[in-house]
Amino acid sequence: MRRISYDLLFVLLAAALLFFLPATLKALYGKASVSYLSLLINATGLAILALSWDILARTGQLSLAHAAFYGAGAYTTAILLKLADWPLWLGIPLGGIVAVLLALLLGSVTLRLRGIYFAIATLAFAEVLKAVVQQLPTRIAGGAAGINVAALFRPAFIPGEMERWEVAFLRNQSYFLVYVGILLLSILVSILVQRSRLKPAFTAIRTNEEVAAVMGVKPARYKLLAFALSSFLVGLLGASEAHRIGSVLPDETFGIGTTVFALVTPIFGGLYTTLGPILGAAGLASVEELLRRTFEEGYLIGYGIVLVASILFMPKGIVGLIDSLKRRRRKLPRSAEEAV
Amino acid sequence: MSILQAQGLSKKFGGLDAVSELSFAVEAKEIFAIIGPNGAGKTTTLNMISGLIKPSAGKLKLNGQEISIKDSAERCHLGLGRAFQVVQPFPEMTVEENVLVGALFGKSGVSEATGRKLAQEVLKQTGLLALKDTPAEELTLLQEKRLEIARALATQPKVLLLDEVMAGLRPGEARQAVELVKNIRNKGVTIVFIEHVMPVVRDLADRVMVMDYGKKLAEGSYQQVTNNPQVIEAYLGAEE
Repeated sequence: MRRISYDLLFVLLAAALLFFLPATLKALYGKASVSYLSLLINATGLAILALSWDILARTGQLSLAHAAFYGAGAYTTAILLKLADWPLWLGIPLGGIVAVLLALLLGSVTLRLRGIYFAIATLAFAEVLKAVVQQLPTRIAGGAAGINVAALFRPAFIPGEMERWEVAFLRNQSYFLVYVGILLLSILVSILVQRSRLKPAFTAIRTNEEVAAVMGVKPARYKLLAFALSSFLVGLLGASEAHRIGSVLPDETFGIGTTVFALVTPIFGGLYTTLGPILGAAGLASVEELLRRTFEEGYLIGYGIVLVASILFMPKGIVGLIDSLKRRRRKLPRSAEEAV
Repeated sequence: MSILQAQGLSKKFGGLDAVSELSFAVEAKEIFAIIGPNGAGKTTTLNMISGLIKPSAGKLKLNGQEISIKDSAERCHLGLGRAFQVVQPFPEMTVEENVLVGALFGKSGVSEATGRKLAQEVLKQTGLLALKDTPAEELTLLQEKRLEIARALATQPKVLLLDEVMAGLRPGEARQAVELVKNIRNKGVTIVFIEHVMPVVRDLADRVMVMDYGKKLAEGSYQQVTNNPQVIEAYLGAEE
Protein backbone atom coordinates (compact mmCIF):
# COMPACT_ATOMS: atom_id res chain seq x y z
CA MET A 1 0.00 0.00 0.00
CA ARG A 2 2.90 2.34 0.70
CA ARG A 3 4.13 1.62 -2.80
CA ILE A 4 0.78 2.71 -4.20
CA SER A 5 1.00 6.20 -2.69
CA TYR A 6 4.55 6.44 -4.05
CA ASP A 7 3.22 5.53 -7.49
CA LEU A 8 0.40 8.04 -7.20
CA LEU A 9 2.84 10.81 -6.37
CA PHE A 10 4.79 9.93 -9.47
CA VAL A 11 1.64 9.95 -11.61
CA LEU A 12 0.55 13.33 -10.23
CA LEU A 13 3.97 14.76 -11.00
CA ALA A 14 3.85 13.39 -14.53
CA ALA A 15 0.33 14.79 -14.92
CA ALA A 16 1.46 18.27 -13.86
CA LEU A 17 4.40 18.15 -16.28
CA LEU A 18 2.23 16.97 -19.17
CA PHE A 19 -0.37 19.63 -18.37
CA PHE A 20 2.15 22.42 -18.90
CA LEU A 21 3.91 20.74 -21.80
CA PRO A 22 1.92 22.37 -24.65
CA ALA A 23 2.48 25.90 -23.33
CA THR A 24 6.17 25.14 -22.84
CA LEU A 25 6.48 23.81 -26.37
CA LYS A 26 4.73 26.89 -27.71
CA ALA A 27 7.06 29.20 -25.86
CA LEU A 28 10.12 27.29 -27.06
CA TYR A 29 9.27 26.42 -30.65
CA GLY A 30 6.43 28.73 -31.71
CA LYS A 31 4.68 27.51 -34.83
CA ALA A 32 6.56 24.19 -34.87
CA SER A 33 4.88 23.26 -31.57
CA VAL A 34 1.71 22.41 -33.54
CA SER A 35 3.36 19.45 -35.24
CA TYR A 36 5.19 18.47 -32.06
CA LEU A 37 1.82 18.32 -30.35
CA SER A 38 0.45 16.13 -33.15
CA LEU A 39 3.31 13.75 -32.58
CA LEU A 40 2.65 13.78 -28.84
CA ILE A 41 -1.04 13.08 -29.39
CA ASN A 42 -0.14 10.09 -31.56
CA ALA A 43 2.30 8.81 -28.96
CA THR A 44 -0.25 9.26 -26.15
CA GLY A 45 -2.95 7.47 -28.14
CA LEU A 46 -0.53 4.65 -28.87
CA ALA A 47 0.35 4.43 -25.17
CA ILE A 48 -3.34 4.11 -24.21
CA LEU A 49 -3.85 1.47 -26.89
CA ALA A 50 -0.80 -0.49 -25.75
CA LEU A 51 -1.39 -0.22 -22.01
CA SER A 52 -5.04 -1.25 -22.28
CA TRP A 53 -4.07 -4.27 -24.40
CA ASP A 54 -1.35 -5.18 -21.93
CA ILE A 55 -3.80 -5.20 -18.99
CA LEU A 56 -5.80 -7.91 -20.77
CA ALA A 57 -2.64 -9.78 -21.78
CA ARG A 58 -1.62 -10.05 -18.11
CA THR A 59 -4.27 -12.76 -17.73
CA GLY A 60 -2.76 -14.65 -20.68
CA GLN A 61 -5.48 -13.52 -23.08
CA LEU A 62 -3.54 -12.40 -26.15
CA SER A 63 -6.41 -10.70 -27.89
CA LEU A 64 -6.66 -9.77 -31.55
CA ALA A 65 -9.93 -7.95 -30.94
CA HIS A 66 -8.56 -4.66 -29.72
CA ALA A 67 -9.62 -2.89 -32.92
CA ALA A 68 -13.17 -4.07 -32.22
CA PHE A 69 -13.35 -2.27 -28.87
CA TYR A 70 -11.60 0.78 -30.27
CA GLY A 71 -14.10 0.79 -33.14
CA ALA A 72 -17.03 0.18 -30.80
CA GLY A 73 -16.08 3.30 -28.84
CA ALA A 74 -15.67 5.35 -32.01
CA TYR A 75 -18.94 4.20 -33.55
CA THR A 76 -20.88 4.68 -30.32
CA THR A 77 -20.18 8.39 -30.20
CA ALA A 78 -20.59 8.74 -33.99
CA ILE A 79 -23.99 7.01 -34.04
CA LEU A 80 -25.23 8.85 -30.95
CA LEU A 81 -24.51 12.24 -32.47
CA LYS A 82 -25.92 11.21 -35.84
CA LEU A 83 -29.22 9.99 -34.38
CA ALA A 84 -29.92 12.67 -31.82
CA ASP A 85 -28.74 15.91 -30.39
CA TRP A 86 -26.77 14.40 -27.52
CA PRO A 87 -24.25 16.39 -25.55
CA LEU A 88 -20.97 16.25 -27.48
CA TRP A 89 -18.98 14.69 -24.64
CA LEU A 90 -21.42 11.99 -23.65
CA GLY A 91 -20.25 9.67 -26.43
CA ILE A 92 -16.84 9.18 -24.88
CA PRO A 93 -17.85 7.49 -21.60
CA LEU A 94 -20.67 5.70 -23.43
CA GLY A 95 -18.14 4.50 -25.99
CA GLY A 96 -16.17 2.97 -23.15
CA ILE A 97 -19.29 1.30 -21.74
CA VAL A 98 -20.39 -0.17 -25.09
CA ALA A 99 -16.87 -1.52 -25.55
CA VAL A 100 -17.11 -3.17 -22.10
CA LEU A 101 -20.44 -4.82 -22.96
CA LEU A 102 -19.02 -6.25 -26.18
CA ALA A 103 -15.87 -7.35 -24.36
CA LEU A 104 -17.88 -9.20 -21.72
CA LEU A 105 -19.80 -10.93 -24.48
CA LEU A 106 -16.61 -11.98 -26.26
CA GLY A 107 -14.81 -12.76 -23.01
CA SER A 108 -17.50 -15.08 -21.72
CA VAL A 109 -17.55 -17.22 -24.88
CA THR A 110 -13.75 -17.41 -25.14
CA LEU A 111 -13.16 -18.35 -21.47
CA ARG A 112 -12.17 -21.91 -22.31
CA LEU A 113 -10.04 -21.07 -25.34
CA ARG A 114 -6.27 -20.87 -25.04
CA GLY A 115 -3.40 -19.56 -27.11
CA ILE A 116 -3.89 -19.60 -30.83
CA TYR A 117 -7.57 -20.63 -30.59
CA PHE A 118 -8.31 -17.67 -28.37
CA ALA A 119 -6.42 -15.37 -30.74
CA ILE A 120 -8.34 -16.63 -33.79
CA ALA A 121 -11.70 -16.32 -32.02
CA THR A 122 -10.97 -12.72 -31.03
CA LEU A 123 -9.80 -11.88 -34.55
CA ALA A 124 -12.99 -13.37 -35.97
CA PHE A 125 -15.03 -11.32 -33.49
CA ALA A 126 -13.38 -8.11 -34.70
CA GLU A 127 -14.01 -8.96 -38.34
CA VAL A 128 -17.62 -9.90 -37.67
CA LEU A 129 -18.21 -6.66 -35.78
CA LYS A 130 -16.79 -4.71 -38.72
CA ALA A 131 -19.08 -6.58 -41.12
CA VAL A 132 -22.09 -5.97 -38.88
CA VAL A 133 -21.39 -2.23 -38.77
CA GLN A 134 -21.04 -2.17 -42.57
CA GLN A 135 -24.37 -3.97 -42.97
CA LEU A 136 -26.33 -1.81 -40.52
CA PRO A 137 -28.83 0.54 -42.19
CA THR A 138 -26.97 3.50 -43.69
CA ARG A 139 -29.11 6.01 -41.82
CA ILE A 140 -27.80 4.57 -38.55
CA ALA A 141 -24.17 3.60 -39.13
CA GLY A 142 -23.40 5.19 -42.46
CA GLY A 143 -22.51 1.94 -44.23
CA ALA A 144 -19.19 1.73 -46.05
CA ALA A 145 -19.03 5.53 -46.34
CA GLY A 146 -18.94 5.95 -42.58
CA ILE A 147 -20.15 8.89 -40.50
CA ASN A 148 -18.75 12.33 -39.98
CA VAL A 149 -18.13 13.14 -36.32
CA ALA A 150 -18.19 16.67 -34.90
CA ALA A 151 -14.96 18.02 -33.44
CA LEU A 152 -14.80 18.38 -29.66
CA PHE A 153 -12.95 21.66 -29.89
CA ARG A 154 -13.46 24.46 -32.39
CA PRO A 155 -11.21 27.31 -31.28
CA ALA A 156 -12.15 30.53 -33.05
CA PHE A 157 -9.65 32.63 -34.94
CA ILE A 158 -9.51 36.15 -33.55
CA PRO A 159 -7.80 38.41 -36.12
CA GLY A 160 -5.32 40.83 -34.64
CA GLU A 161 -4.99 38.94 -31.36
CA MET A 162 -3.53 35.67 -32.60
CA GLU A 163 -1.82 34.16 -35.57
CA ARG A 164 -3.38 31.59 -37.88
CA TRP A 165 -1.35 28.65 -36.56
CA GLU A 166 -2.44 29.34 -33.01
CA VAL A 167 -5.91 28.01 -33.84
CA ALA A 168 -4.34 24.65 -34.70
CA PHE A 169 -2.22 24.89 -31.58
CA LEU A 170 -5.26 25.44 -29.34
CA ARG A 171 -7.06 22.57 -30.98
CA ASN A 172 -4.11 20.23 -30.57
CA GLN A 173 -3.55 21.38 -27.02
CA SER A 174 -7.13 20.55 -26.06
CA TYR A 175 -7.01 17.10 -27.65
CA PHE A 176 -3.64 16.44 -26.09
CA LEU A 177 -5.07 17.15 -22.65
CA VAL A 178 -8.01 14.81 -23.28
CA TYR A 179 -5.60 12.06 -24.34
CA VAL A 180 -3.38 12.74 -21.34
CA GLY A 181 -6.46 12.38 -19.14
CA ILE A 182 -7.30 8.98 -20.63
CA LEU A 183 -3.66 7.91 -20.41
CA LEU A 184 -3.51 8.89 -16.72
CA LEU A 185 -6.68 6.90 -16.08
CA SER A 186 -5.10 3.93 -17.87
CA ILE A 187 -1.93 4.27 -15.80
CA LEU A 188 -3.96 4.40 -12.58
CA VAL A 189 -5.89 1.27 -13.57
CA SER A 190 -2.65 -0.46 -14.48
CA ILE A 191 -0.98 0.48 -11.20
CA LEU A 192 -4.00 -0.68 -9.26
CA VAL A 193 -3.77 -4.03 -11.01
CA GLN A 194 -0.03 -4.28 -10.41
CA ARG A 195 -0.09 -3.29 -6.76
CA SER A 196 -3.15 -5.20 -5.59
CA ARG A 197 -4.15 -8.84 -5.28
CA LEU A 198 -5.12 -8.68 -8.93
CA LYS A 199 -1.48 -9.06 -9.90
CA PRO A 200 -0.93 -12.50 -8.34
CA ALA A 201 -4.33 -13.57 -9.68
CA PHE A 202 -3.64 -12.35 -13.22
CA THR A 203 -0.10 -13.76 -13.26
CA ALA A 204 -1.20 -17.13 -11.88
CA ILE A 205 -3.92 -17.44 -14.50
CA ARG A 206 -1.52 -16.44 -17.26
CA THR A 207 1.10 -18.95 -16.14
CA ASN A 208 -1.11 -21.94 -15.44
CA GLU A 209 -4.85 -21.60 -15.31
CA GLU A 210 -5.55 -25.10 -13.91
CA VAL A 211 -3.09 -24.70 -11.06
CA ALA A 212 -4.44 -21.22 -10.34
CA ALA A 213 -7.97 -22.64 -10.10
CA VAL A 214 -6.89 -25.46 -7.80
CA MET A 215 -5.34 -22.78 -5.57
CA GLY A 216 -8.68 -21.01 -5.34
CA VAL A 217 -8.29 -18.32 -8.00
CA LYS A 218 -11.45 -18.01 -10.07
CA PRO A 219 -10.14 -17.68 -13.62
CA ALA A 220 -13.44 -16.64 -15.21
CA ARG A 221 -13.91 -13.73 -12.81
CA TYR A 222 -10.45 -12.25 -13.36
CA LYS A 223 -10.35 -12.89 -17.10
CA LEU A 224 -13.63 -11.02 -17.54
CA LEU A 225 -12.49 -8.22 -15.24
CA ALA A 226 -9.37 -7.79 -17.35
CA PHE A 227 -11.50 -7.74 -20.48
CA ALA A 228 -13.74 -5.04 -18.99
CA LEU A 229 -10.90 -2.79 -17.80
CA SER A 230 -8.99 -3.15 -21.05
CA SER A 231 -11.93 -2.52 -23.35
CA PHE A 232 -13.22 0.44 -21.35
CA LEU A 233 -9.94 2.30 -21.76
CA VAL A 234 -9.57 1.56 -25.46
CA GLY A 235 -13.26 2.41 -25.96
CA LEU A 236 -12.61 5.87 -24.50
CA LEU A 237 -9.67 6.23 -26.86
CA GLY A 238 -11.68 5.13 -29.90
CA ALA A 239 -14.44 7.63 -29.14
CA SER A 240 -11.98 10.50 -28.64
CA GLU A 241 -10.16 9.61 -31.86
CA ALA A 242 -13.44 9.67 -33.77
CA HIS A 243 -13.93 13.30 -32.73
CA ARG A 244 -10.33 14.26 -33.45
CA ILE A 245 -10.14 12.56 -36.85
CA GLY A 246 -13.63 13.81 -37.72
CA SER A 247 -15.07 10.61 -39.14
CA VAL A 248 -15.50 6.88 -38.65
CA LEU A 249 -15.16 4.37 -41.49
CA PRO A 250 -15.58 0.60 -41.07
CA ASP A 251 -12.31 -0.31 -42.79
CA GLU A 252 -10.32 2.37 -41.01
CA THR A 253 -11.91 2.37 -37.59
CA PHE A 254 -12.00 -1.43 -37.29
CA GLY A 255 -8.74 -1.81 -39.20
CA ILE A 256 -6.42 -4.61 -38.10
CA GLY A 257 -3.64 -2.01 -37.82
CA THR A 258 -5.05 -0.87 -34.47
CA THR A 259 -4.79 -4.40 -33.11
CA VAL A 260 -1.28 -4.84 -34.50
CA PHE A 261 -0.06 -1.63 -32.84
CA ALA A 262 -1.85 -2.57 -29.62
CA LEU A 263 0.22 -5.74 -29.29
CA VAL A 264 3.48 -4.73 -30.96
CA THR A 265 3.96 -1.70 -28.71
CA PRO A 266 3.91 -3.57 -25.35
CA ILE A 267 6.13 -6.28 -26.82
CA PHE A 268 8.59 -3.57 -27.90
CA GLY A 269 8.41 -1.78 -24.55
CA GLY A 270 8.04 -4.74 -22.17
CA LEU A 271 4.99 -6.91 -21.57
CA TYR A 272 2.98 -7.12 -18.32
CA THR A 273 4.25 -3.83 -16.89
CA THR A 274 2.89 -0.30 -16.63
CA LEU A 275 6.03 1.34 -17.89
CA GLY A 276 6.68 -1.01 -20.83
CA PRO A 277 3.73 -0.07 -23.05
CA ILE A 278 4.35 3.64 -22.35
CA LEU A 279 8.05 3.45 -23.17
CA GLY A 280 7.16 1.32 -26.18
CA ALA A 281 4.72 3.94 -27.42
CA ALA A 282 7.20 6.77 -26.92
CA GLY A 283 9.90 4.74 -28.65
CA LEU A 284 7.83 3.58 -31.60
CA ALA A 285 6.22 6.97 -32.19
CA SER A 286 9.67 8.62 -32.22
CA VAL A 287 11.19 5.96 -34.46
CA GLU A 288 8.32 6.28 -36.90
CA GLU A 289 8.56 10.07 -37.01
CA LEU A 290 12.32 9.96 -37.41
CA LEU A 291 12.12 7.45 -40.25
CA ARG A 292 9.34 9.38 -41.92
CA ARG A 293 11.43 12.52 -41.93
CA THR A 294 14.57 10.74 -43.13
CA PHE A 295 13.08 8.62 -45.90
CA GLU A 296 10.00 10.00 -47.52
CA GLU A 297 9.26 6.83 -49.42
CA GLY A 298 9.13 3.37 -47.91
CA TYR A 299 9.91 4.42 -44.35
CA LEU A 300 7.73 1.59 -43.13
CA ILE A 301 10.41 -0.87 -44.29
CA GLY A 302 12.83 0.75 -41.85
CA TYR A 303 10.12 0.60 -39.19
CA GLY A 304 9.73 -3.13 -39.78
CA ILE A 305 13.48 -3.67 -39.53
CA VAL A 306 13.58 -1.82 -36.21
CA LEU A 307 10.75 -4.01 -34.85
CA VAL A 308 12.31 -7.27 -35.98
CA ALA A 309 15.70 -6.26 -34.60
CA SER A 310 14.18 -5.25 -31.26
CA ILE A 311 12.38 -8.57 -30.87
CA LEU A 312 15.57 -10.45 -31.76
CA PHE A 313 17.88 -8.49 -29.50
CA MET A 314 15.63 -7.46 -26.64
CA PRO A 315 12.97 -10.16 -26.33
CA LYS A 316 11.71 -8.68 -23.08
CA GLY A 317 11.43 -5.19 -24.53
CA ILE A 318 12.87 -1.94 -23.28
CA VAL A 319 11.89 -2.69 -19.69
CA GLY A 320 13.59 -6.08 -19.87
CA LEU A 321 16.73 -4.45 -21.24
CA ILE A 322 16.79 -1.90 -18.41
CA ASP A 323 16.27 -4.69 -15.85
CA SER A 324 19.10 -6.80 -17.18
CA LEU A 325 21.43 -3.78 -17.27
CA LYS A 326 20.54 -3.02 -13.65
CA ARG A 327 21.09 -6.61 -12.63
CA ARG A 328 24.42 -6.74 -14.43
CA ARG A 329 25.60 -3.64 -12.61
CA ARG A 330 24.53 -5.09 -9.28
CA LYS A 331 26.20 -8.42 -9.93
CA LEU A 332 29.50 -7.10 -11.29
CA PRO A 333 31.06 -5.95 -8.00
CA ARG A 334 30.17 -9.26 -6.36
CA SER A 335 31.85 -11.34 -9.04
CA ALA A 336 34.84 -8.98 -8.92
CA GLU A 337 35.11 -9.75 -5.20
CA GLU A 338 34.93 -13.44 -5.87
CA ALA A 339 37.71 -13.11 -8.43
CA VAL A 340 39.95 -11.58 -5.76
CA MET B 1 -18.09 -39.00 9.69
CA SER B 2 -15.78 -39.39 6.70
CA ILE B 3 -14.30 -36.12 5.52
CA LEU B 4 -13.90 -37.21 1.90
CA GLN B 5 -16.19 -39.69 0.22
CA ALA B 6 -16.23 -41.04 -3.31
CA GLN B 7 -19.17 -43.12 -4.51
CA GLY B 8 -19.10 -44.96 -7.82
CA LEU B 9 -16.56 -42.58 -9.27
CA SER B 10 -15.91 -43.38 -12.94
CA LYS B 11 -14.03 -41.81 -15.80
CA LYS B 12 -14.00 -42.98 -19.39
CA PHE B 13 -11.45 -41.65 -21.86
CA GLY B 14 -12.94 -42.73 -25.16
CA GLY B 15 -13.31 -46.49 -24.83
CA LEU B 16 -10.92 -46.74 -21.91
CA ASP B 17 -12.22 -47.03 -18.36
CA ALA B 18 -9.51 -45.05 -16.59
CA VAL B 19 -11.44 -45.28 -13.33
CA SER B 20 -14.55 -47.35 -12.85
CA GLU B 21 -17.00 -47.57 -9.99
CA LEU B 22 -14.49 -46.43 -7.41
CA SER B 23 -15.81 -45.91 -3.89
CA PHE B 24 -13.82 -45.05 -0.81
CA ALA B 25 -14.02 -42.91 2.28
CA VAL B 26 -11.26 -41.03 4.06
CA GLU B 27 -11.60 -40.28 7.76
CA ALA B 28 -10.69 -36.91 9.25
CA LYS B 29 -6.99 -36.49 10.15
CA GLU B 30 -6.15 -39.76 8.47
CA ILE B 31 -3.19 -40.31 6.14
CA PHE B 32 -4.65 -42.26 3.26
CA ALA B 33 -2.40 -43.69 0.56
CA ILE B 34 -3.43 -44.63 -2.96
CA ILE B 35 -1.01 -47.02 -4.58
CA GLY B 36 -1.05 -49.14 -7.70
CA PRO B 37 0.85 -49.87 -10.90
CA ASN B 38 1.31 -47.20 -13.57
CA GLY B 39 -1.91 -46.47 -15.38
CA ALA B 40 -4.07 -47.72 -12.52
CA GLY B 41 -6.03 -44.44 -12.50
CA LYS B 42 -4.56 -42.87 -9.37
CA THR B 43 -3.84 -39.41 -10.79
CA THR B 44 -7.13 -39.47 -12.69
CA THR B 45 -8.84 -40.05 -9.34
CA LEU B 46 -7.06 -37.07 -7.76
CA ASN B 47 -7.89 -34.95 -10.81
CA MET B 48 -11.56 -35.79 -10.40
CA ILE B 49 -11.41 -34.94 -6.70
CA SER B 50 -9.82 -31.55 -7.33
CA GLY B 51 -12.17 -30.77 -10.20
CA LEU B 52 -9.65 -30.73 -13.03
CA ILE B 53 -11.54 -33.41 -14.93
CA LYS B 54 -15.21 -34.18 -14.82
CA PRO B 55 -16.19 -37.70 -13.74
CA SER B 56 -18.29 -39.69 -16.22
CA ALA B 57 -20.31 -40.88 -13.24
CA GLY B 58 -20.24 -40.92 -9.46
CA LYS B 59 -20.42 -38.59 -6.53
CA LEU B 60 -17.90 -36.79 -4.35
CA LYS B 61 -18.54 -35.44 -0.90
CA LEU B 62 -16.29 -33.20 1.14
CA ASN B 63 -17.30 -32.86 4.77
CA GLY B 64 -20.70 -34.24 3.87
CA GLN B 65 -21.22 -31.64 1.16
CA GLU B 66 -21.68 -32.67 -2.45
CA ILE B 67 -18.81 -31.17 -4.49
CA SER B 68 -19.19 -32.98 -7.82
CA ILE B 69 -20.79 -29.97 -9.47
CA LYS B 70 -18.39 -27.38 -8.06
CA ASP B 71 -15.40 -26.02 -9.96
CA SER B 72 -11.79 -26.30 -8.79
CA ALA B 73 -11.69 -22.89 -7.13
CA GLU B 74 -14.88 -23.57 -5.16
CA ARG B 75 -13.55 -26.94 -3.99
CA CYS B 76 -10.40 -25.18 -2.87
CA HIS B 77 -12.47 -22.67 -0.88
CA LEU B 78 -14.29 -25.59 0.76
CA GLY B 79 -11.00 -27.02 1.98
CA LEU B 80 -9.42 -29.13 -0.73
CA GLY B 81 -5.70 -28.55 -1.32
CA ARG B 82 -3.64 -30.15 -4.05
CA ALA B 83 0.06 -30.60 -4.80
CA PHE B 84 0.91 -31.83 -8.26
CA GLN B 85 3.05 -34.77 -9.35
CA VAL B 86 4.81 -32.74 -11.99
CA VAL B 87 5.76 -29.64 -10.03
CA GLN B 88 4.13 -26.62 -11.58
CA PRO B 89 5.31 -23.50 -9.80
CA PHE B 90 4.54 -20.12 -11.32
CA PRO B 91 8.10 -19.64 -12.64
CA GLU B 92 8.01 -15.84 -13.00
CA MET B 93 7.04 -15.39 -9.36
CA THR B 94 9.25 -15.64 -6.32
CA VAL B 95 8.75 -18.43 -3.80
CA GLU B 96 6.84 -16.05 -1.54
CA GLU B 97 4.59 -14.82 -4.35
CA ASN B 98 3.79 -18.42 -5.29
CA VAL B 99 2.70 -19.17 -1.75
CA LEU B 100 0.85 -15.87 -1.55
CA VAL B 101 -1.45 -16.91 -4.40
CA GLY B 102 -2.66 -19.81 -2.27
CA ALA B 103 -2.82 -17.69 0.88
CA LEU B 104 -4.82 -14.87 -0.73
CA PHE B 105 -7.20 -16.90 -2.88
CA GLY B 106 -7.41 -20.29 -1.17
CA LYS B 107 -10.24 -19.05 1.05
CA SER B 108 -12.61 -16.28 0.14
CA GLY B 109 -12.29 -12.95 1.91
CA VAL B 110 -8.65 -13.18 3.02
CA SER B 111 -7.24 -9.66 3.38
CA GLU B 112 -3.83 -8.83 1.98
CA ALA B 113 -2.30 -8.48 5.45
CA THR B 114 -3.72 -11.80 6.65
CA GLY B 115 -2.59 -13.46 3.44
CA ARG B 116 0.97 -12.23 3.86
CA LYS B 117 1.10 -13.41 7.46
CA LEU B 118 -0.25 -16.80 6.48
CA ALA B 119 2.29 -17.08 3.66
CA GLN B 120 5.09 -16.36 6.15
CA GLU B 121 3.88 -19.11 8.48
CA VAL B 122 3.64 -21.64 5.67
CA LEU B 123 7.11 -20.69 4.39
CA LYS B 124 8.47 -21.26 7.88
CA GLN B 125 6.66 -24.58 8.29
CA THR B 126 7.97 -25.89 4.97
CA GLY B 127 11.51 -24.62 5.46
CA LEU B 128 11.36 -22.18 2.58
CA LEU B 129 11.64 -18.91 4.49
CA ALA B 130 15.27 -18.33 3.51
CA LEU B 131 14.35 -18.78 -0.15
CA LYS B 132 11.30 -16.54 -0.17
CA ASP B 133 12.73 -13.99 -2.61
CA THR B 134 14.17 -16.59 -4.98
CA PRO B 135 12.44 -16.84 -8.35
CA ALA B 136 10.63 -20.18 -8.47
CA GLU B 137 12.40 -21.12 -11.70
CA GLU B 138 15.74 -21.23 -9.87
CA LEU B 139 14.75 -23.86 -7.27
CA THR B 140 16.15 -27.39 -7.00
CA LEU B 141 13.75 -30.31 -7.31
CA LEU B 142 13.50 -30.79 -3.54
CA GLN B 143 12.79 -27.10 -3.09
CA GLU B 144 10.20 -27.21 -5.85
CA LYS B 145 8.47 -30.12 -4.15
CA ARG B 146 8.44 -28.17 -0.91
CA LEU B 147 7.02 -25.19 -2.74
CA GLU B 148 4.35 -27.39 -4.27
CA ILE B 149 3.30 -28.50 -0.78
CA ALA B 150 3.64 -24.97 0.62
CA ARG B 151 1.32 -23.50 -1.98
CA ALA B 152 -1.28 -26.15 -1.27
CA LEU B 153 -0.93 -25.61 2.49
CA ALA B 154 -1.35 -21.88 2.09
CA THR B 155 -4.90 -22.48 0.86
CA GLN B 156 -5.63 -23.76 4.41
CA PRO B 157 -6.91 -27.17 3.31
CA LYS B 158 -8.86 -29.59 5.44
CA VAL B 159 -7.91 -32.32 3.00
CA LEU B 160 -4.56 -32.20 1.22
CA LEU B 161 -4.06 -34.22 -1.95
CA LEU B 162 -0.41 -35.07 -2.64
CA ASP B 163 0.49 -36.65 -5.95
CA GLU B 164 3.84 -38.45 -5.75
CA VAL B 165 5.62 -35.68 -3.95
CA MET B 166 8.50 -38.04 -3.11
CA ALA B 167 9.22 -39.03 -6.70
CA GLY B 168 12.75 -38.14 -7.76
CA LEU B 169 13.92 -37.35 -4.22
CA ARG B 170 17.02 -38.94 -2.70
CA PRO B 171 16.36 -41.13 0.40
CA GLY B 172 17.54 -38.40 2.79
CA GLU B 173 15.32 -35.85 1.11
CA ALA B 174 12.37 -38.23 1.15
CA ARG B 175 12.79 -38.65 4.92
CA GLN B 176 12.59 -34.88 5.33
CA ALA B 177 9.48 -34.82 3.20
CA VAL B 178 7.92 -37.62 5.28
CA GLU B 179 8.53 -35.56 8.44
CA LEU B 180 6.94 -32.55 6.76
CA VAL B 181 3.83 -34.53 5.84
CA LYS B 182 3.56 -35.94 9.39
CA ASN B 183 3.78 -32.42 10.80
CA ILE B 184 1.04 -31.26 8.50
CA ARG B 185 -1.23 -34.09 9.65
CA ASN B 186 -0.43 -33.30 13.28
CA LYS B 187 -1.88 -29.84 12.66
CA GLY B 188 -5.19 -31.51 11.82
CA VAL B 189 -5.04 -31.80 8.05
CA THR B 190 -6.30 -34.99 6.40
CA ILE B 191 -3.89 -36.30 3.78
CA VAL B 192 -4.59 -38.33 0.67
CA PHE B 193 -1.43 -39.23 -1.21
CA ILE B 194 -0.32 -41.21 -4.21
CA GLU B 195 3.07 -42.85 -3.84
CA HIS B 196 5.30 -45.36 -5.57
CA VAL B 197 8.07 -45.41 -2.98
CA MET B 198 6.87 -48.22 -0.72
CA PRO B 199 8.96 -47.37 2.39
CA VAL B 200 7.31 -43.95 2.33
CA VAL B 201 3.88 -45.55 2.20
CA ARG B 202 4.83 -47.83 5.09
CA ASP B 203 6.09 -44.91 7.20
CA LEU B 204 3.22 -42.57 6.49
CA ALA B 205 -0.02 -44.29 5.67
CA ASP B 206 -2.69 -45.14 8.24
CA ARG B 207 -4.63 -46.87 5.50
CA VAL B 208 -3.77 -47.91 1.96
CA MET B 209 -6.01 -48.32 -1.06
CA VAL B 210 -4.60 -50.34 -3.96
CA MET B 211 -5.86 -49.58 -7.46
CA ASP B 212 -5.40 -51.59 -10.63
CA TYR B 213 -7.03 -51.01 -14.04
CA GLY B 214 -9.16 -48.23 -12.60
CA LYS B 215 -10.68 -50.41 -9.87
CA LYS B 216 -10.12 -50.84 -6.19
CA LEU B 217 -8.11 -53.99 -5.65
CA ALA B 218 -7.67 -53.89 -1.90
CA GLU B 219 -7.90 -51.58 1.07
CA GLY B 220 -6.49 -51.80 4.60
CA SER B 221 -3.34 -51.33 6.62
CA TYR B 222 0.05 -51.43 4.92
CA GLN B 223 0.60 -54.98 6.28
CA GLN B 224 -2.77 -56.18 5.08
CA VAL B 225 -2.48 -54.90 1.54
CA THR B 226 1.14 -55.93 1.02
CA ASN B 227 0.29 -59.48 2.08
CA ASN B 228 -2.77 -59.62 -0.15
CA PRO B 229 -2.14 -62.17 -2.94
CA GLN B 230 -4.12 -60.14 -5.48
CA VAL B 231 -1.97 -57.08 -4.78
CA ILE B 232 1.22 -59.10 -5.12
CA GLU B 233 -0.06 -60.45 -8.41
CA ALA B 234 -0.89 -56.98 -9.73
CA TYR B 235 2.60 -55.75 -8.90
CA LEU B 236 4.71 -58.79 -9.73
CA GLY B 237 2.54 -60.73 -12.15
CA ALA B 238 0.86 -64.11 -11.48
CA GLU B 239 2.98 -67.03 -10.38
CA GLU B 240 3.03 -69.82 -12.91
